[in-house]
Amino acid sequence: MSSPFDQIIITESGESLEESELSLLETLDHVLNRGLVIAGEITISVADIDLIFLGLNVMLSSVETAQEVLRRREQKSE
Amino acid sequence: MLSPENPHPAEPEIETAHPQEFVEQLRCIADTLPSRINIDAEGVEQGLAKLVLTLIEFIRRLLEKQAVRRMEGGDLSPEQIEELGLALMRLEAKLQELKTQFGLADEDLNLDLGPIGRLI
Amino acid sequence: MKLYVYCLAEDVDEPSNSLRGVAGEPVRRLDAGNFSVLVSDFAAEAVLVNQENAVAHAEVVQSVLTQTTPLPFRFGTLVTEQQLESYLSARREALESKLGSVRGCVEMSVKIIADPDSSEASGPNNNPQTPGTAFLSEKRREILGSETRAAEAKRVASWLEDRIGEVVRETRINTNPTDKLILAAAHLVKREKVPEYRTRLAEARHERPELHFLTSGPWAPYSFANIDLEFKTQFGVS
Repeated sequence: MSSPFDQIIITESGESLEESELSLLETLDHVLNRGLVIAGEITISVADIDLIFLGLNVMLSSVETAQEVLRRREQKSE
Repeated sequence: MLSPENPHPAEPEIETAHPQEFVEQLRCIADTLPSRINIDAEGVEQGLAKLVLTLIEFIRRLLEKQAVRRMEGGDLSPEQIEELGLALMRLEAKLQELKTQFGLADEDLNLDLGPIGRLI
Repeated sequence: MKLYVYCLAEDVDEPSNSLRGVAGEPVRRLDAGNFSVLVSDFAAEAVLVNQENAVAHAEVVQSVLTQTTPLPFRFGTLVTEQQLESYLSARREALESKLGSVRGCVEMSVKIIADPDSSEASGPNNNPQTPGTAFLSEKRREILGSETRAAEAKRVASWLEDRIGEVVRETRINTNPTDKLILAAAHLVKREKVPEYRTRLAEARHERPELHFLTSGPWAPYSFANIDLEFKTQFGVS
């Protein structure tokens, strides 16, 4: 399985390749997809159970620009 | 290394007796990551498609689980099982088609189900 | 010009001149009220998810950890200065509360692999099956397998909690993130409790040699930084 992080890792401290790849992967697992989110999130819940988190930013921009696209299409067909 | 003389941590230490195994598993996780993070702008259609397909994918997986439960429960006839299976097969194929059309990968439709963890 | 934001903290020094962040840019401190945010300039449209950037982000956040416990921002967060300021003022209370809850703590992490189990494979299916049925049978195999793993993961999680719960302030658990990884846990631990935490963990490892452990830390509280969950719970936003 190839990964975007398949690279030759050159280390200075003399640790094995395996150790430095492990260190990188473990770092990635901590850093990515965690932390404060400025755009905010919304949840969709059913019966008080949180089911889906959605990026608010994606939703808002999609809806706003979708309306614009529809408007432009309407204008074109006139 | 945390100690009374040095209460402030520097580099995080990583320790395991099975580095290769963990490298393999962590790679699996790393493989599902997107190649770019673009907070601002997804194309309109792609953004909406992703939203809609994510929800459909979620429902599809619930339906699959439900079907398996019923199959296990023994209250379906062989013909019903066959019909159900075929319908779900077609749904899976259709969804795959749509994903390809919109240039979305499986990972793009991955849901973060928050505190409940993975329901699917 | 956008800002790449790394983390938020109270009481943090101006970063050293030599500290470089994402895209090799120098990191500086932005102050807004009680908060400081570490930022750097970012010119491109999106942040590439690669080793260089992720490690840069981690190192900037880690550099703060020696002085205080910051709240890391999600990797790839790009904002204008205005967006940052409005975010900080709109969420001030939640952020202060969050900072309070992680104050004096660090994140320690445990991942567990269960020894490869051959019971995954259910018996071979000899009957030729019609396609719909074969499809469902395969799904059944997958789903049942994952349910067994889920049950085992729960048991391991509660055993672990039992062993180290006393020295941990908060826990976040992910069960079965992959096939073999049965558990990935993040523990919020007071700094002075870290040695005891490590000791207990070492004992726990000895107790269960059939489990393979990976432990790491200390990290900044990446897994405990998200304030939006709390916001949702409090105000019932959905």
